[in-house]
Amino acid sequence: MSIINFRRAVTRTAAGAVLLAGATACGDQFLTVTNPNLIDASTVDPVASGAALALSAQQNLAFSMGLMSAYSSWFTEETNVGDTFPTRNEFGFRTITDLNGSLNGDVWAPISLAAASSKQVLDLELPTPAANINLARAAMVRGFAVLQIATDFCEGTLSSGPKLTTTQLLDTASFWFSRAIDVGRANASTDGVAIANASLVGRARVKLQKNDKPGAATDAGAVPAGFQFDLRHTDDAANRNRLSNRQWIFSFDRANLSVAPFFRVNDPRVTYRSGAAATAASQDNLPGGYFQQTKFPGYGSAVRLASKLEADYINAEATGTTAMLALVQSRRTANGLPAYAGATTDAAVLTEFYNQRAFEFYLEGKRIGDLRRNPAAVSNLTPAGGVYFKPGYQAVGRDTCYPLPRPETDNNPNTKP
Amino acid sequence: MSLPSISRLMRGLRVVGVAVPMLALPLAAQAQTGTITGKVTDAATKQPIADARVLITGTVLGTQTNAQGEFRLTQVRSGMVPVSVLRLGYKSMRDSVRVADGATATINFALSQSAINLSEVVVTGTAGNQERKAQSALVASVKAADIIADAPITNVASMLQSRVPGVALSAQSGTKGAATQIRIRGASSINLSNQPLVFIDGVRLNEGFIGSGQSGQSFDRFNDLNPEEIESIEVVKGPAAATLYGADASAGVIQIITKKGRAGSNTFAQSIRVEGSSSDANFTPQDNYALCTAATVAATSTNPLCRGKAVGDLVSDNPLLRVNAFRTGEGRIVNWNGRGGGQNYGYNLSYGSDNTSGVLPNNRFNRYNIRTNANYVANSKLNFDAGLGLVQTQVDLPDNDNNIFGWLGGAMLGNPLSRNDSPTGQASNDGWFSRRHYNAIVAKQNRLLTKRVTSSVTANYAPTSWFTNRFIGGMDFANELNDNFQPKNDSLWWGGLNDGGSRGLTSRGAERYTFDYSGNMKKQLPMDVEGNLSFGLQVISSRNTSVSSTGVGYVTNSNNSVNSAAITTGGSAFSEQRQYGYFGQLQFGQSNRRFLQLGARVDRNSSFGSASPAFFLPKIGASWAISEEDFFQPLSRAISQMRLRASFGTTGRSPGPGDALTTLTAATFNITGTAGAGVVLGNPGNADLKPERGTEFEAGIDASFINNRVGLELTYFRKTTKDLIIARPIPPSLGFNGNPLANLGGVLNSGLELGLNVAALNMSNAKWDIRFGANTLKNELTSLGGVAPFALGAGGRTIVGEQLGVFVSKKIKSVDVAANKVIVNDLLTPMGNLFPTLEWNLTNTVTLFKNFRVAALLDAKRDFLVFNNTAFFRETQIVSSDNRINVNKLSAEERLRRYGNLTAGQPAFVTDSGRSATVNDVRDQYMEKGDFIRLREVSATYTLPTSLLGFTNRRVTGASVTLAFQNVKLWTDYSGFDPEVNSQTGAFSREDFLTLPNPKTTVLRFNLNF
Repeated sequence: MSIINFRRAVTRTAAGAVLLAGATACGDQFLTVTNPNLIDASTVDPVASGAALALSAQQNLAFSMGLMSAYSSWFTEETNVGDTFPTRNEFGFRTITDLNGSLNGDVWAPISLAAASSKQVLDLELPTPAANINLARAAMVRGFAVLQIATDFCEGTLSSGPKLTTTQLLDTASFWFSRAIDVGRANASTDGVAIANASLVGRARVKLQKNDKPGAATDAGAVPAGFQFDLRHTDDAANRNRLSNRQWIFSFDRANLSVAPFFRVNDPRVTYRSGAAATAASQDNLPGGYFQQTKFPGYGSAVRLASKLEADYINAEATGTTAMLALVQSRRTANGLPAYAGATTDAAVLTEFYNQRAFEFYLEGKRIGDLRRNPAAVSNLTPAGGVYFKPGYQAVGRDTCYPLPRPETDNNPNTKP
Repeated sequence: MSLPSISRLMRGLRVVGVAVPMLALPLAAQAQTGTITGKVTDAATKQPIADARVLITGTVLGTQTNAQGEFRLTQVRSGMVPVSVLRLGYKSMRDSVRVADGATATINFALSQSAINLSEVVVTGTAGNQERKAQSALVASVKAADIIADAPITNVASMLQSRVPGVALSAQSGTKGAATQIRIRGASSINLSNQPLVFIDGVRLNEGFIGSGQSGQSFDRFNDLNPEEIESIEVVKGPAAATLYGADASAGVIQIITKKGRAGSNTFAQSIRVEGSSSDANFTPQDNYALCTAATVAATSTNPLCRGKAVGDLVSDNPLLRVNAFRTGEGRIVNWNGRGGGQNYGYNLSYGSDNTSGVLPNNRFNRYNIRTNANYVANSKLNFDAGLGLVQTQVDLPDNDNNIFGWLGGAMLGNPLSRNDSPTGQASNDGWFSRRHYNAIVAKQNRLLTKRVTSSVTANYAPTSWFTNRFIGGMDFANELNDNFQPKNDSLWWGGLNDGGSRGLTSRGAERYTFDYSGNMKKQLPMDVEGNLSFGLQVISSRNTSVSSTGVGYVTNSNNSVNSAAITTGGSAFSEQRQYGYFGQLQFGQSNRRFLQLGARVDRNSSFGSASPAFFLPKIGASWAISEEDFFQPLSRAISQMRLRASFGTTGRSPGPGDALTTLTAATFNITGTAGAGVVLGNPGNADLKPERGTEFEAGIDASFINNRVGLELTYFRKTTKDLIIARPIPPSLGFNGNPLANLGGVLNSGLELGLNVAALNMSNAKWDIRFGANTLKNELTSLGGVAPFALGAGGRTIVGEQLGVFVSKKIKSVDVAANKVIVNDLLTPMGNLFPTLEWNLTNTVTLFKNFRVAALLDAKRDFLVFNNTAFFRETQIVSSDNRINVNKLSAEERLRRYGNLTAGQPAFVTDSGRSATVNDVRDQYMEKGDFIRLREVSATYTLPTSLLGFTNRRVTGASVTLAFQNVKLWTDYSGFDPEVNSQTGAFSREDFLTLPNPKTTVLRFNLNF
């Protein structure tokens, strides 16, 4: 090969390589890609999105309350666990370890999301903060989220903070309920007033849980007649997990909520189907078969969050035995049951009163609060050490509340063991 | 990749496409050429050697011998021409022949067998094709034809199984078409993939699993490849060798080289391989047990097991055997290959079909492959290779593993008390788990239909004898349709609205484009030193799209299109990732026996954003063919060849698209009756995220002894992964949906790899070859960056100082049978290894009278645990095992260990500090030793003597028949069926949970060459 040809070959090869490198544009622009699956947080203006964030937080509450109601129904034997998950059966036999994956994934994380997402709104500098409906909504959501943590968990923590006792959690919930009441009332819209009244019920529940009976009675008494605040659910196939009624998903899709024997008494407040009438077969082989609740009969069934009825119950419990007995009789009559004819001692009335509460607020996640306040008055629970209803499992334990899950205690610098 | 980017890339490729031939044409016009022909034979047996590579040094010319050992090279420049012949298993030869202009020269080679071959050319992990002896880090080679000749394999993963030390394969189950995990030198990444990168002819493939949504039953893109299309496979094991593959190669690289045509041969040869196989389940499922109750023993009872028996009688049932669920799996494999070439072109055409059914009724695998490779030799300086592979694969996977619709789960979690022989019994559980009985399980469909195109174009241009260039461009495009159907039924099989019938369709497009340029310059320097400078650029762009739709509620099962459903929903997803890297390598070789390599690659990846800094990956290595030194010659009678090598290199592993960003997650709300677009906290992100950095030191010896009859490859490696990408657990109370990825901690993988090849006997009528491979592995999490240990896999945990995902449990400390008390540790305690620390395999091949060959492969793994979740679940959750139900079967102590204290009012287990613990925390007894030895393959092949083929007038050049067996025998103390299967897709699980064991397969195969 001549020198000229040689140089030409080298030059052309090098030129080709350079052209190639240029053509592939290996620079910043080449590395700029689109990923529409993601929402880059920096592209969202939180103040302008205040309403969406507040409504998202309320949906988070509805989602988490559905799960908490289901898990606490196993824990308090409103229902039996028709599921194969070992972790869910731990709720059934009331021995929950902090390593329980469902405790973290289905209970703690969702309610923490509700609490954290509402706080995200409350931390925004939104216009007219004293009457801003988004702030009122977020405060209510945070109040109920913290209240539920207080009743279901033995202790809690918020936003990676220090461990809080039940009392501290209840005080925190009360603070946010108070803010929701003030801002909601100042807003004065229909939504604002409803939020204020729901928060009034929530604060009454807090006070009752703290044994502040006069305060509870005062708040409960201020709730207007006929009031009810529901967590809306939607029969939306595209968003089944997030928007639909969890109690029904668990009763129909998974068939793991089986009405416990105590509630299978044809009380109109706890309706169910069994045998061939049931529209689902339980996952697990349940002794006696599967009893499918129909109190929440569809994906779109709303769940009561707060109501005048609950306020009445709080008021009566805070007032005393006579008031409780009166409400018992009134509610039994209203539901077509014969009058209560049992003993009228304080303890007996409280037990019957809790029984009525249990039927009244079945699968609404409130019974665990009763268990925390007065465990002796919660009848129908398998005693500690008793045989679990499904063969093969260990005996029923002594837990009355849930431990903080290990992923929280391990990774929260304020709660590390 | 955006449209402008594609446009840019295409423009670039056009430039290359036009420029390169232009560079060649003037040179081609000036050349004076001739032809070389010849034959390559075995020096000992005089048999022809097929598929030997014949190369002309300093040019791009090369070809392979045909079945008769013949070769032909055209366009050879006239004059004295150096010719090299290379073949795995033989000592390479080099000779020269004078070629006259326009004439044909002949040169023949008789190769001697050699257990190692230092002159073999390796194309992977190098900046230009290099002789093995120059490589400072080991690149393993597997010759496909040699394996297929005997072994009963039908997928590429099986070609690597137990054939390359340090490469561990683990089939997820015995289901045909299910995925196989591939781990090279252990696992080093927690949150990123540990699967190696896969290239085919230099083009990166879309690798990975595709979840079927059915627990461990995943589809695997690796199964799209037909082993028959492959010439050889090269395995780059770690960063020491994989540096030039960039910041994503720390788990290793698998390079598949497909069969090419024989340019210049003026021949056309065909081969047909027809195979029939049968598989049997190779296990007997365990019976379910129960004690009869008063209701079931009554005369009116519908339970045929208990009716008429006494209350408390033990009864058993085996639903799978009762309905004869297992069948004989059948396979029909046909492969045709046509290979040849003309004066200056070659081609290889192949067609293959694999129609195999598994041992379960709804398990089928149908694959059709077509591949065309064409090569054109423009002149001695320029040639082109173009490859096009078309695949259609349809796989039906049955449900199994952790799945209530699974065959094993449905049957082995059943309750004999639910047996029902009434006329309506089929609508009840009838001994199966819930209503998910035979009729439901067999009716469910999980199907993946893949249509895939893989293409590559390679241009080799050598403007001078010292300057070579290689351009590779190609793409892999896979279109996958995942089809899940649950038919409408009246028996409440599925739960919820799905009992009205449901269908889910997901269409995925996976595109990956590769462009690769590498240049190589050689220069002879003083002191017999040859300088070798390599440089290049690699660009890879990947896009993944998916569109999904579901329909629920059908009028009839035949009218099951999504749009016929009562409720329809849809969704879509898209992600994109781009990366590029420049690399350079400088090698000095003295006297062609002492080599020093210095190299580096600079990488950038879109995962870190467009403004991210580059990632620098250095490497250094040395190789010394010490046996070629003068001072070594006194030892040459004992040690035929020996080289020493050492290498240090760095690679990485990049996270997925957008992983570094702070994100929100779309979360719909409906508070007022109208759905609204909402968000919740997504991932906190990490702007400082960078790739994991894997550095590896590797050193070893390659040697052969006793006239090359014994070959040894011994390698020590120490791979350290720093900046480990971990989804740093954050407290759930922060409300984020995901954990942010962070560079925390490190992992160490180290071990020894041994490959031993022994030609124990090499006579004309008797040959005995022994191949032994072994490797050790020390895998250790060296740091977790201060993060608290967290759960990893099924039963595993991240504990510093232990293996990644080491099995943990609240370990039993003492058992007091008299007091009915079991004391366990307060904390989760390491129980044993997830990864075997020792693996070995032994292959013996005996050839008698040249035509009869018998081979057997033994395979073993030691020192690891398997979580027998099948036993755990059947004994402690859905109780159906006689271990638990028959109180007389196990000792009192063993019952305490497995179930704890079952006395009412007593905790099952008590921790050191007096707390109670459940069976879910104390799984000691179910984490079993998984050690095994398996007789994996046995085969016998008879090759018809040439004399018997004479009647075909040389039209048939070869014929053979093979009878082979797979998974012949298993020796293990594991109490489950198969310690090799894994119900989990994650890297850090070894869980047998209602998983189908590997079947025993018998193969009858006919080969015909003509």
